[in-house]
Amino acid sequence: MLGFVARRLGFAVASVAAVVLITFVLVHAAPGAPMLGSPERTLASPETIARQRALFGLDRPLPEQLLRYAANLARGQLGESFVLHRPVADVLAEALPNTLLLGGVALVASLLLGLVVGATQAARHRSRTDTALGVATLVLYSVPVFWLGLVLLLVFGERLHWLPVSGMTSAGIHDSLSAAGRALDVARHLVLPAASLALVQAAAFARFQRSALVDTLGAAHIRSARAKGLPERAVILRHALRGALAPTITLAGLSVPYFLSGSVLVESIFGWPGLGRVAYDAIFARDYNVITAVALVAGVLVALGNLLADVAVAVADPRVRLSG
Amino acid sequence: MSPWRLAARRFRRNRPAVRGAAVVLLLALGAVAAPLVTADPLAQPDPVRLQDRPPSLAHPLGTDPFSRDVLSRTLHGARVSLVVGVGAALLAVTLGAGVGLAAGLAGRRTDQLLMRGVDVAIALPRILLLLAVFAVWEDAPAAAVVGLIAATGWFQTSRIVRAAVLSLREADFVVAARAIGAPAAGIVRRHLLPHVAAPVIVSASLDVGNIILLEAGLSYLGLGVRPPTPTWGNMIMDGKDVLLSAPWVALAPGLALVATVVAFNLAADGLRDAFDPRTAA
Amino acid sequence: MRIGALLAAAALLAGCARGPSASAAGGTLVIATTGDADVLLPPVTSLETGINVSDLLFCRLAELKPGLNTVDDSGFRPVLARSWDHPDSLTIVFHLDPRARWQDGFPVTAADVAFTFRTYVDSAVNAPLAPFLAPIASVAARDSLTVAFRFRRWYPEQLYDATYHMRILPRHLLDTIPAARLATSAFARAPVGDGPYRFTSWRAGAEIAIAADTGWFLGRPGLDRLIWRVTPELPSAVSQLLAGEADAMEVIPSRGQLERVQQSRDVRLVPYPSPFYAGVVFNLRRAPFADRDVRRAIAMAVDRQTVVRSVFGPFADVAVGAVSPMQAVWSDSIRQLPFDTAAAARLLDGRGWRRAAGGLRARDGTPLRFTLLVPTSSQARQQAAVILQDELRRLGVDVRIQPVEFTVMERRTTTGDFDAAFVSRTTDPSPASLLQWWSPGAGANIGGYADPVFESLTAAALRARTRAEAAPRWRSALERLNDEAPAVFLFSPRNEAAVSTRVTGVTIRPDAWLATVAEWRVREPQRAASDRGAARP
Repeated sequence: MLGFVARRLGFAVASVAAVVLITFVLVHAAPGAPMLGSPERTLASPETIARQRALFGLDRPLPEQLLRYAANLARGQLGESFVLHRPVADVLAEALPNTLLLGGVALVASLLLGLVVGATQAARHRSRTDTALGVATLVLYSVPVFWLGLVLLLVFGERLHWLPVSGMTSAGIHDSLSAAGRALDVARHLVLPAASLALVQAAAFARFQRSALVDTLGAAHIRSARAKGLPERAVILRHALRGALAPTITLAGLSVPYFLSGSVLVESIFGWPGLGRVAYDAIFARDYNVITAVALVAGVLVALGNLLADVAVAVADPRVRLSG
Repeated sequence: MSPWRLAARRFRRNRPAVRGAAVVLLLALGAVAAPLVTADPLAQPDPVRLQDRPPSLAHPLGTDPFSRDVLSRTLHGARVSLVVGVGAALLAVTLGAGVGLAAGLAGRRTDQLLMRGVDVAIALPRILLLLAVFAVWEDAPAAAVVGLIAATGWFQTSRIVRAAVLSLREADFVVAARAIGAPAAGIVRRHLLPHVAAPVIVSASLDVGNIILLEAGLSYLGLGVRPPTPTWGNMIMDGKDVLLSAPWVALAPGLALVATVVAFNLAADGLRDAFDPRTAA
Repeated sequence: MRIGALLAAAALLAGCARGPSASAAGGTLVIATTGDADVLLPPVTSLETGINVSDLLFCRLAELKPGLNTVDDSGFRPVLARSWDHPDSLTIVFHLDPRARWQDGFPVTAADVAFTFRTYVDSAVNAPLAPFLAPIASVAARDSLTVAFRFRRWYPEQLYDATYHMRILPRHLLDTIPAARLATSAFARAPVGDGPYRFTSWRAGAEIAIAADTGWFLGRPGLDRLIWRVTPELPSAVSQLLAGEADAMEVIPSRGQLERVQQSRDVRLVPYPSPFYAGVVFNLRRAPFADRDVRRAIAMAVDRQTVVRSVFGPFADVAVGAVSPMQAVWSDSIRQLPFDTAAAARLLDGRGWRRAAGGLRARDGTPLRFTLLVPTSSQARQQAAVILQDELRRLGVDVRIQPVEFTVMERRTTTGDFDAAFVSRTTDPSPASLLQWWSPGAGANIGGYADPVFESLTAAALRARTRAEAAPRWRSALERLNDEAPAVFLFSPRNEAAVSTRVTGVTIRPDAWLATVAEWRVREPQRAASDRGAARP
């Protein structure tokens, strides 16, 4: 098992390195230059901008820049943001926890919701409830996450005033609240963006859980449990769901890319100060060091998710370990 | 009866799936016929007086902030979504099947090499790569969008196909065919491809909906296929600004998008059940 | 010759320039913004929010009065400098207000002013505004409260250049930091200033808060706290305003969103003259545009009124030339080329550009055609470009619109790789900013416009001793520019701030919208309700 994990970790490191290399070359080879002050938005003169380029070493040949970047990276240095004038590591250190919070809550919520809906459907297989939930999950699964976000914002934020429309904390009063009050404040701001992300993914999970559980409920040991006279609910809870654990972990691991791409859209709509926003801003400002570092972090997250999925599969099915 | 006929019959009996397929066909027709039945989607007949007009006889779905016909743009948007969705899914699946077959059939070393590559590539954060590429590619044509989405989306298929090939390689009929000295190409064509086809078709049909959503997300951010070419994503972006005063601008492409993805997913579910009756239980 | 200042207490308005009477102070103003700040260190800050925040933390020596008269000394009011005089034509001596203090208790001294100048012009700092300080030869402290600015040559806007571009920095906190590291220093993210507000907190990408300095030497500012909330998507930012989570926005740059705000009873629009003008700049180095008549014909064939109304509705003005409505020289009586398609057609016919098959014009087999770069970031400009294309097609000119990403457009225009570009320009209050875009050799003169007549007209304007004398000279220069048509000057979007109705006393100085925020008030009855704890336990 340890050997297996070590091998998988090796792939993960390799893929993160590949991500960094690809991103670095892509952004540096791109047309356009970093937004080191623009004559259209500020009074910065082209001369000032040229000097800025030289200060950041952007006038050097690409291989030289790449080598320097790699050397810095090896020393654990991610460089400095051109636009924000601060170490990229600081930018990430502030944004990453927010994205992890948003993504983590959305992930857990979607897993739970998916499991409940899927189990309900499986338990009442081919009933009207099953059909209705089937239609609901199908439609939700087909809705673009940005569209759902916009609708939730308009309805629950702007029209009904139930929840804040934007940001992570309430302006001005957050810091004067008690610890519990602060947590609650963040929680209220979290609801809409997390729901936008979670609902779509919950639909995907529910669809998977339903068919997996329908499969399992047809399996031999379940039929025998039923034959013993256990009530259907107990059968599902005790026997079927236990078998669903490993696939659920796998699913969670493999859904990391979904949450990353969703966060780019959702964080922007709801003003959530996370990694997706940082990435989006940096890409449009050509803030090379930030783009590359975000790709690095995203690569690590995706690789960790895959690792988790692989391990879960391996634990559930020892044959995989031999071939993997 | 051949497994194909069986599957076809099962699919035909699956009403939601047939309806989904019908919607997909209808959409394809609409997209093909779009230039014949509707106005030029780029024409701005009167950008001064015809902005954001509500639905009327001349413009059944109203006009957008540029006075362009929303119906025409929605239908033309279908072309982009379908071409990108279907094209990228097919290309991705072909790539994935090719690599999977090669890995499954070739020697251990090639297999190792290819699958290690896939292991690495599968961890690429797709959205970031696409964002970065399209942010710098000023006027990426639809073909580039198709190509890049496919290039970053075939990894899972290759794993599925390789697994199928590995399990089939030791199957009796393949062993037998090899024993009588049948040429390798023939074995692949006659025995392996048909069996690998089912998971590939299912995987492709499931991909279409996801890719259409992915493309819409990119367009919504102003990337990928650029304005003024209509895509559902950039139409929603245009309409976002007038969501309350001229809701038809964003509503039409939004509903078309959801309907299309639902239809593809229904059809995909039907295909999966048809090929693998166990899941349809 | 002593022109300077009266008593600080007599000063009216203008940000750092004054504190209001102590009555009815209090309340929090939440400002929605679509972008975070970069740094809070005046020489390097270049993003909108960063400038807005640091403007309230750091003071200038003197402030422009609301009329934005940049020529006469009477256009300024004292802030850190209590008074100033001109011992000779190349020197201005400032006398600092002895009450001015840094927020850590140290006094603001002449050494701080000299240090500030050195910092702004240090190439390692690379301050964007450094070029504006080029006419200043040196800044030297004479004693702890007296500082002398020495100029390289005489010109009427000396006081403007000495005061407007620099906000004074605390030497005792910064002189140990190498110049190149200033922007990344801890100070730049948690500054100590001398303004009416002090820095409180900054959560990157989310929120910046500042609080009133109750002991500020010019009087306690009106609002207790200002909080900027970052909401990247404009519709979401407006939603925040409409939902009562924010009280104000600097400008709402979209017609659709403006209409949303218009329908609200809780938020009102406050218009103020904008510092922008936008237009299509021709590359004069390229074939058709080297010809003045072709440029004039194109300019005359565009019905600018129609373009502006259809793109912006009532929310923009036709540009009268290379001048923004904020600048004092702006006037709708500035002579412009008329909208006259017949005259335009005659001009082109006269230059040999005749209509060929398909109605497009050509000369010697070369079609009259150009590519127009439009940034994808601006929906308004894309929309206007299409109407322009349509109008020019009627004249027989084939315009190809090429939408390009903003940074790409910047690169192509600054390297001259374009036919025509749809650009927007931000001006500062001085009409001299005209030279930045249109004098030969200026880096931002992207079209390569060079005209001796325009040069001599601007030179004469720069020599004017009073605003009254300068205004007609600038006007002649602008009219010359309109005649030469190096660009089609199209529109100036009207700036509309959105402010909650619970905020009263709102006035806006066009070059810095929060300059007078010290006198804004949050209306009492609603304060308790709207400073509400959004988190209801």
